[in-house]
Amino acid sequence: MSELAIRRGAAPALAVEGLSYSYARAAAPALLDVSVEVAPGEFVLLAGRSASGKSTLLRAACGLVPHFHGGEVEGRVEVAGLDAIASGPGELAAAVGYVAQDPETQVVSTTVAAEIELPLEMRGDGPGDRARAVEEVALALAIPHLLGRAVDTLSGGELQRVALSAALVTRPRLVLLDEPTSQLDPVSGDELIWLLRRLNEEWGVAVVLAEHRLERCLAAADRVVAMEDGGVGFDGSPREFLAWTRDSDPALTTPAARLFSLAGIEPLPVGVRDARRTLGDAPTSEGLTGPEHRQPFTRPKGPRAFAAKGLWVELDSGEGARDVLRGIELAVAPGERVALMGRNGAGKSTLLRTAAGLIDPVAGRVAAERMALLTQNPGDFLVRERVGDELPGLEGRDALRAVGMEHAIEADPRDLSGGERQRLALAIALAGRLEGDGVPGLVALDEPTRGMDCARKEDLHKLVECLAAGGAAIVIATHDVEFAAEFAERVVLLGDGVVIADGPSAEILSGGWYFATEVARVLDRPGVVTPEQGAAHLAERAG
Amino acid sequence: MRSPFAYIPRRGPLQSARPGAAVAYLGSLVVVAFLYSSPAVLLAAGFAACLAGWLAGAWTAVRAALRMGLGLAVLIVVVNALVVDRGETVLARLGEVPILGQVDITLEAIVAGVSIGMRAAVTMVAFGIYSACVDPDRVLRALRPIAARSALTATLVSRLVPVAAADAGRLRDAGQLRGPGSAPVGKGALARRLLAGSLDRAVDVAATLELRGYSLDVPRGRRRREPSRHDVRFYAVAAAVLAVAIVGKVAGADDFHPYPTIHVGLGAATLAVCAIVAVSGLAPLRVRGRAVARHRGSARRRSPWPRSHFSAGSADRGRRPRPTRGLTERERLRVLGAARSRGAAPPSPREEHRV
Repeated sequence: MSELAIRRGAAPALAVEGLSYSYARAAAPALLDVSVEVAPGEFVLLAGRSASGKSTLLRAACGLVPHFHGGEVEGRVEVAGLDAIASGPGELAAAVGYVAQDPETQVVSTTVAAEIELPLEMRGDGPGDRARAVEEVALALAIPHLLGRAVDTLSGGELQRVALSAALVTRPRLVLLDEPTSQLDPVSGDELIWLLRRLNEEWGVAVVLAEHRLERCLAAADRVVAMEDGGVGFDGSPREFLAWTRDSDPALTTPAARLFSLAGIEPLPVGVRDARRTLGDAPTSEGLTGPEHRQPFTRPKGPRAFAAKGLWVELDSGEGARDVLRGIELAVAPGERVALMGRNGAGKSTLLRTAAGLIDPVAGRVAAERMALLTQNPGDFLVRERVGDELPGLEGRDALRAVGMEHAIEADPRDLSGGERQRLALAIALAGRLEGDGVPGLVALDEPTRGMDCARKEDLHKLVECLAAGGAAIVIATHDVEFAAEFAERVVLLGDGVVIADGPSAEILSGGWYFATEVARVLDRPGVVTPEQGAAHLAERAG
Repeated sequence: MRSPFAYIPRRGPLQSARPGAAVAYLGSLVVVAFLYSSPAVLLAAGFAACLAGWLAGAWTAVRAALRMGLGLAVLIVVVNALVVDRGETVLARLGEVPILGQVDITLEAIVAGVSIGMRAAVTMVAFGIYSACVDPDRVLRALRPIAARSALTATLVSRLVPVAAADAGRLRDAGQLRGPGSAPVGKGALARRLLAGSLDRAVDVAATLELRGYSLDVPRGRRRREPSRHDVRFYAVAAAVLAVAIVGKVAGADDFHPYPTIHVGLGAATLAVCAIVAVSGLAPLRVRGRAVARHRGSARRRSPWPRSHFSAGSADRGRRPRPTRGLTERERLRVLGAARSRGAAPPSPREEHRV
């Protein structure tokens, strides 16, 4: 829709021609003969599996490659007329803004105002210009109330907005974002995408956004570039991209497009509104999502792998103590697969950490049987240079077998893929906690799908199913509603430290807007959350 | 969890002042602590530092610094009592101790240790206040034109310290979460992992600095001037404290001799130095301006304009108007009219009567 804003024919915001690049001492090139052009005011979505070259392309566009990372480069990269290979990131800073995945390492100042002002100061702008630019960008990103705050008191979402403000304050012609929503809850993630869209439309900033969760941002994009093994696999409109994924890489498709493919409906939708329009079916309440139509959810009886009773936890983040968990009542049975959801700061991680004994509750009780908790960074578990050294003896061997990693006993953890490292970390947490038949009591994972592509999510899903089939209770804290719909049979929704919803995943993930799958938002039918369920529903309706 | 010494942005005079002014003020207290050994003056300097921290809203930092400073002071007292055998008032004879030889604990050595310990405690409190109240970004900005490389290093370090602390916390948690059948994590392995992680983090932070244009040379003459109306106050107090401290020292105000018997002089000069140093702790006091005084009853009655003449903020909306006794009829009508337009109830007769 922002085609009006795209100034075709003007000097491109980004022009990449025949770019090949290899990191220093890398066995294979990260980019191979890449040619892409981004017009001023264009919103381009960069899709692709992990290690397909998305991040490297973004780094090349902002000058970090090759200036910062070294390596061998061939080809041409121009940003707003500047040669990015000849100029360094500092010279390019006025023309291009870059926001990376981890907001923690993207802030270098103590206060928000100083952080946003820094690029202007480095450019030599006068105090008046700087004050005005900071004020304007803070207003545009709705963060004027944060200007006086210390950066280490901000949440992940706030920090990501501050990093975006610092990237935009110089009014660059191009802004590059590398999975900026991977650490955000659905609410903050959606807000960030629409904020980008608004800036793109109102300020005419060209946006290149690399993302794995395409359903979140496909509708906002003018164009999609899909990377494949370091090269450009596809370059076209979002609708053409969906058609391409059906034939070439189904893992990259969106849930709504998969729903349409399974139901045999054309054209494939690029978003919820598009899907609804095609179905010609405005959302009807029909009273179906009302509480009176919900199936009563019975708490598991009998043995429990996890139980919390009147659990209160107080934490002090430096601005005074506050109750993070407030009287949590929760029980999980062996073999049950539970998704723990809620916005950032709702208390998901705190609940898991309390159950694992890392935090003492101030009131109430929590019990978890042979609990293995994998935290958000699996790399924290890996401290040795050989898998066998991490997991010695019979118990270590059993744990490796439980996660399907017994073949890698001689490997260096650093040489493993992201998914294998995650499995190894889980094996370390499981070692010695398996019963005779290799079944753990409770396996808890905190945000395991962060930054994962669909293929890796599928592997994780299989592993979780395998452990649950053996009798282990699985609790996964996640923001990924699509993953929760696939793996969980029950969803517990936390809000401000209390359980605000607890029930079958199909019911919880179809009864809202933010914590609902794309299919649920398209069809608005209770209990219909996955593309398969949606296709069955559409077939039933047609029949 | 944040460090108690972490900088917290506030709008207090000490936080608003230029780093130079804040350093001059806090530094003057440290100079007094090192210039004097009289416990009375040191106590006054300690009181001034604590008062300054409290007024600046940095009580958490002061408390943490006091805990550390007093711990250090106790250590100094113990060591001084063990290694110094001067003084005539022997409290205990410990006999022959290996390395130390004959050890006699004397009251004088303990008091001398207390004096040195107080010095250390005052210094730590002053540093604690500096850390919690002086914006490191402003310090680095001031440092950048003088020593660009040092400023870059300091920026990297100041950002990496909290990041590394968070990483260490996460690694410690992961160590606790390892299954009983996995290899235990030794401190060496943990330290190696933390170091490797910190190097990766350093690369990320350095990349961010590059992207912000840190490597560019800032054009001269366009650097920020950040004056504050409080600068003069802090410079003046620092100068006064230093002048009084030097003059007092010359005039014999530091009248303290621990050996051979304790002598603490509390002459006029000493008391004067104590009083001035103690009062200097009031420097970060926030002085309310006239606009605030206008809201108070006395100022309001003296004001030629009724309250309604000033634009009512959103906080005023819906509030009951102030009692109108003592105003002229014209002013009273204005106040009540403004109240009606805000939808507020008129003042009750009891409120009217109270005035």
